[in-house]
Parts: sequence; C-alpha cells; structure tokens
Amino acid sequence: MHHLVIHFLHINISMALQVVLLGFIGGVLSGFIGSGGAFFMTPGMMNLGVQGVVAVASNITHKFGKAMVGSRKHGEAGNVDKKLAVFVLGTAIIGIQIAVWIISMLFKGGASHGSAKGAGANLYISVVFATILAFVAISMLRDLIKSSGQEDSGAGPSRKIVDFMARLNLPPLIYFKVADVKVSLWVILAVGIATGYLAGTIGVGGFIGVPAMIYVFGVPTAVATGTELYLAMFMGAFGALSYAYQGFVDLRLTMLLYLGSLLGIYLGVYGVKVVNEKVIRLVTSLIILLCVLSRIIAIPIYLRQLDVIHLDPKWDVYFNLASKFFLFASGISGCLVILFFVMRAYRQRRKIHKTLQVERVPLTP
Amino acid sequence: MPIIMISSASHCSAEQLARDLGRKTGWPTLSRKELADQAHAQGIKLGRLETSIIKKPIINERLAREKEIYLAYVTAAICENVRDGNLIYQGRAGHLLLPGVQQRLRVGLIAPKEMRIETAMSDLHLPREKVSIYLDQIDEDYKKWVRYVHKAQWQDPGLYDFFINLQNTSLSHAVDLLVSMASHSDYCPSAENLKTLDNIYLAARAKMALANSDKTRSANLWVLAVDGVVTVTYMPGQKGIDQEIVEVVKPLEGCRKVQCTMAETNILWLQERFLGAAENFQHITQIAQRWGAAVELMRVAPSSSAGHDEYDSSVAGETQKSPADTDPSLYTGGVEDDGPETVQDDGGLEKTLEELVSIGRSAGGKTIYGAGEEIMEAVKDSGNCSLVVLGEMFLDKGQETRKRQIRELAMNVRERLKIPVITSDEIKGRFFFGYRQAIKLLTYAAIVVCIYVAVFASQDIILNFLGGEMHEKIRVISAISVALFVPLVAYLYSTVTGLLLKLIGVD
Repeated sequence: MHHLVIHFLHINISMALQVVLLGFIGGVLSGFIGSGGAFFMTPGMMNLGVQGVVAVASNITHKFGKAMVGSRKHGEAGNVDKKLAVFVLGTAIIGIQIAVWIISMLFKGGASHGSAKGAGANLYISVVFATILAFVAISMLRDLIKSSGQEDSGAGPSRKIVDFMARLNLPPLIYFKVADVKVSLWVILAVGIATGYLAGTIGVGGFIGVPAMIYVFGVPTAVATGTELYLAMFMGAFGALSYAYQGFVDLRLTMLLYLGSLLGIYLGVYGVKVVNEKVIRLVTSLIILLCVLSRIIAIPIYLRQLDVIHLDPKWDVYFNLASKFFLFASGISGCLVILFFVMRAYRQRRKIHKTLQVERVPLTP
Repeated sequence: MPIIMISSASHCSAEQLARDLGRKTGWPTLSRKELADQAHAQGIKLGRLETSIIKKPIINERLAREKEIYLAYVTAAICENVRDGNLIYQGRAGHLLLPGVQQRLRVGLIAPKEMRIETAMSDLHLPREKVSIYLDQIDEDYKKWVRYVHKAQWQDPGLYDFFINLQNTSLSHAVDLLVSMASHSDYCPSAENLKTLDNIYLAARAKMALANSDKTRSANLWVLAVDGVVTVTYMPGQKGIDQEIVEVVKPLEGCRKVQCTMAETNILWLQERFLGAAENFQHITQIAQRWGAAVELMRVAPSSSAGHDEYDSSVAGETQKSPADTDPSLYTGGVEDDGPETVQDDGGLEKTLEELVSIGRSAGGKTIYGAGEEIMEAVKDSGNCSLVVLGEMFLDKGQETRKRQIRELAMNVRERLKIPVITSDEIKGRFFFGYRQAIKLLTYAAIVVCIYVAVFASQDIILNFLGGEMHEKIRVISAISVALFVPLVAYLYSTVTGLLLKLIGVD
C-alpha cells in the first residue's frame, strides 16, 4: 500500500465480508428505524480497525448515494417539503463544515505514528456518539414506558416545544406549505447547524433532524422523514465532497457497504409496514443503547493512546473484543428480530384470503 | 329541487341567509351548530376533535378515527333531514359534505372584513381590535379544519358552484338568486342522485353503528355501501371481528348484504369497463395478494350517461330497474318492490366483484359519473387506499388523447391527494418481473460486477487518487469524481437489488 495513504486499511476477503455484513445490518436497521444506520456502521468499521475519520467519511459518502435513491420514493408519496429542506440545508452546511474542520484538526493534531494516529479524532467521535445516542435512546424508552401506561397511546408526538416556540413568536416566521407549519427562521438556523454538525461528526444527522422537525417544528412524521432523507442527499453530497477533498473517503468501504445496505434497506422498510409501532420503538432504542455501550467500552483505548490514562496496551484487545461483541450483538440480534417479523409477515400475507359474505333477504316496503 | 350547502367564514350572516331561504322555499334547514349540539348530546367529542386539529395537526390513529365518526355522524344527520330531495345546510365546509351527490348546490358566502367585524362586534359584544384578531384566528382554524378533515383548501373556487359576495348583494337578493338557481334542472335530484345519497346514508349509519358498538369500536375499519351491499374491510390484526361486524351492520335498515374482507390496505382500481379475465385483473390481484390488500373497484362512466343510460348507474349487482329511475317522485328511499328483470350493462363491475370476492380480495365497488372533479372527489373519499390504478379509461377518445388524459389524471391525483398512482400500462414494469426486467437485471448486474472488479483490482491507484500523492495534486477532481461515482454505483446496485427482490416477490 502506498505510504501516503496509511490511514486506509488493507482490505482482505474476511474484512470485506465483515463490511458487507455491517452494511446489511445497517441497511436493515436503517430501513426499519428510518435513520441512516450510521450509528451501527461507523463504530462497526472503527472496530474493524478503520480510522474514525475514514469510517465517518466513507459512511457519509455511502449515505449520500443511498439518500438519493430513497428520497425519490418519498418525493413520489408527497412527503418532501423542499422549501423546509432548503432552509435547513443552508444552515446544515455550516454545521458540516464545523464538524469536518474539528475532526480534521484532531486527526492531523494527533500523534503521527502507529495506532495513536487519529486517537484524538476517534475519542471525540466516540464521546459525541455515545452522548447523543444515549440521549435519543433513553428519550425513546421513556416515551414508550409513559405511553404504555396510558389509555390513549396513539395521541402522537408531544407538542410542548412547538407550542412554546409558537408563544415565543420570534420573527421572521416562515410558512412551509407541504408540512403545513410556521417556524421561526432562528429556530431553523439552530436546528440546521446542529443537524449538519452531527451528520458531519458521526454521520447521524437524522437522529437530530427528524425529531427536531417533529418536536420543534411540528412537522407530521411522514413529512419529517421524507424531508430529512431529501436533506440527507444534499448533506451527504456536501459531506462526501468535503471529506473527499481532505482525502479521507475510502471508496472501497463505501462500495462494500452498499453491497449489504441496499439489500437490507428494502427488508427493513418492509418490516416497518408489518411490525407494531411499539415494537419498532422498543427494538430501535435497545439497539441504539447497545451501540452506545459498545462505543463507551472502546473509549479507554483512545484515552490510553493519548496518554490520558495509563493502561497496559495488552488490554486493547479485550476492550476491542468487548466493544465489537456489543456492537455486533446489538446489530445482529436487532436485525434477526426484524427479519423474523418480516418473514412472518411475508408468509402471513400470502395466506390471507378471506371475504366473509352474508346475504339477507331483500326488504319489502 | 336541490340540497343547498352554504359554506362561509364565521360572522358572514350565513345562518340568516339559510333561515331566510328556508322560509321562502319551505325546505328544511339544518345548521352545523344544531348538528354539533346533537353530536355532543350523543357523546361525540367534537370539541376535542376541533382542539386536536387546530392545535395538534399531527395525524394519528385516534384523531383519524374521531374524524371518521364525526363525518359519518354529520353525513347521516344531513341525509336524515333531506325531504323530497331538499335541504338547506349551513355550516363550516358544508360544500365538501356528501361527496358524489350531484344535486348539491355548493354556495360560498363571502363578506368584507369590515362587515364581518361589525356583525361579530354586535354578536360577541367585544371591542373592534379583539374582534379583528378573533376573526383572523378563527379563519386560520377553519383552514386547518378543512385541510385536515376534508383534505381540501377552504377557499378553492373549484369546489363551489356559486359565490355570493355580500359587499354588493343584500341578503334578500341573495335568497332570490339561490331560489332561481335551485330551480335549474342541473340541481334537480335524479333517481341516480337519490341512490347515491342512499348509499352515502347507509355507509354513514354503518360507520356510526360500528363506532357505537363495544365489539367493533376500537377496530380500524373501512366501510363502503352500494345499493344495500355494505362492504367492510378490516385489518388482519383484528382477526375474528368479521362475525361481530355482521351482527352490527346486518340489522340496519336498507342493508341487504354484508361483506367483510380482511386486508391491510386497499388498492383502488378505476376503469371504464372491467373484464375479469383480463391481464390487468390478474396483475392487480397478484399485487393485492402480495400486499395483503383488498381491491376496490370504481367504474368511471361518462357524466352524460348518469341516470339515463342503459346501465343502471352506481349499483354493482343491481338487476332491477326501479320506477324511480324514470320518475324521481316515485323514489322509495332504496326500498323497492320486485319487478321485471332487465339485462343491464354495468361495465363488468358485478362480475369482477364476484371474482374478487371468490379470492377474498373484495373491498366493494361503485360507479361514478364524470371524469374531472367527480373522480377526485370519489378517490379522496375512498380513504384507506395505498395505490390507485388507472386502467382503461376515456374509451370514446383516440388512443393518444386517452393516454394524455390518463396521464393528466394520474398527475392530478398524485399531486392533490398525495396517493401513489400508476396506470395499468406501468403495472407490469413496476411490480412484475418479466423479460424486460430480466434483461435490465442482467445488464445492470454485469455493469456493477465490472465496476467492483475494476475498483478492487486496482486498489493502489484508487487509494492514491483518493488520499495519496496523486490526491494532493488533484484534490478538486478527486472530490468531484467521488461525488459523481458514488450515486452512480448506488443507482445501479439498488436497481439490481430492487429487481432481485421483485423476482422473489418482496416489495
């Protein structure tokens, strides 16, 4: 391998297959949960030894192509508010640039030798990843527990923040026709920057973008998902261009991820149609929590590489193994649960043939 | 004489207009306010629905069900109040009620803001500023209501027959105008219209009965009634509910047959003539099988044939010609004597419905007259539908015109109702794996394999280009190449996977 591309790994058959599997699991989860699946694929690649920055870059590039294919379908169903997407995109680009700049600085500022190269960036990505996703998963679980105790669990997302924002009435307010909401430009700016920053840092902008659109803007769920995917296409393109310009995109990883993810995503989407919404939310939050745990376990390795803590390097193997175990356990078990439901529904759908017909003697005047 | 539906913003003197018109014509009057009071007395939580829609426009299952119950209640109440085909209804979005009934005279009443403020000040005893803000707010709320409940724009002029502006027209003049318009033959009830009204009434009563019954209250049901045949579609998760549905619906007056189909969703199939054995039928039923869906048929007939063509209108399975078909005054409210049988052309609707029933995929069927707004209204009213299939239509037109009109209709339905639409010509390509798809799969797969082999066979060069010395010199070209290459791979490979899954029937 060329000496200047040391941050790219040598890929053998075994590693290629593992990346394809990561892609497949990420695809199934992504289709099922509605986010990019990066929360699984990015740390998954890092556990395979890929530098954090390369994992993020390759994944954001992968997300770009995937979102392009997916947003077309949402567009046909009328779930895309292009005006809203344009507004969020404008600010998200600033967020992405901030993220790319921070990661590039951390990567370049790290040690220039061996495994310590990029440890700062890895640590930073892992901490942001664990913090944000732990918050998302715990919120989802809390919502689920709350709603399960209520008679009317189908009441939809909370409107507390939307109502609060409406009362604030921060001009200028912009009306979005498809989503049918009025939102303050300042709120859009804040959400856009946060979405872009997270997309650029851990490749999971959707985890902020979709809930923000639902809970802060008051956008209907289907429109939030469709608009986020449309947005992801442009953010992905921008992220891909930025990282590719910096020389961090490993095209081989992107292509291997596609092999699995584009197949998995179809199965995941099929799963959403046939699985109970509460089960979807429960499976999703548990998978995310296990991913968070997996990333937390890997943090001591980076801390040691940065000489923040003193640890025998021999322990790296065990930390890495444990991290890998939790990540794959979450992904594989989540994926298996989803595939189980998909297969069951697939068989059931083919079995349902029923029209009960009851005739009655016509009435006479 | 017609059913006059007066719709206006609040404090436009619409109630006064309806009262004056009622006095002058002697026709019964009904207002939304009266209905709201009655609904409240019957335990329908209209206030909660209104608050939910105005403050929380996020669609959820509970809200959708409450909306359906409210609409069923209002529809049933209006139908009950129609006497000899006459009624004056006044209320919010009244012009959007009773979809498909052609004898409606849909009137929009508008008044200048200043006039509304004066009226509201005297009605509410509030100062001008407060009234002005109140009217703006209530107009916003109306818009939300119409958008959510009727999936329409409140002030869309295409949804009205007639507008009266009180700026230059007095109420008494408006009454005269409406009396004059109502006497026009366009708004006189034909036997056809009365039957449509009957169908709507039966469906509304069935919905209400199902919503009021403990056994079926929580179920997610879709109801269609045509000539005494009530078709109820229920979800697979509600297995076993069919007997309970029958128990609730069967005793309803005017119900002569109950049909229950288990399905997750509906596919709405519009066509002028249905031929059971045709290729379209096979394709649509195969898709329905795959999706666990029921198929709802909608026969589209030219509006000129309504009420006086050889075919007995909107009735699937009807074999009797009612006296009311020729003389509306003999209409008996759907309760008919047996009479001499006549052979009628229903465009193959009944036969196709029977075939659908035999394979457990029927969501009922009906005929609609007209090809523009009538279709949009009927499709909008068809509810739980995840795909609209436009089959052979506009048969009296040349082939090119036919194709264009179908394409335009597809575009309209897609844009306005946000429902996926497909023409019968596209079904094969989109949902089935045939010869062309096989060629496409092989070609795309070959290209994908070539790309992957090329990339992995020359990893050194590629990596140098992406992040090595070469990259240092041509960063911009490298970045642009990645941004162009990646979507191409994604497109090619997603097409391959999509076709493969289509081949094994997963979509």
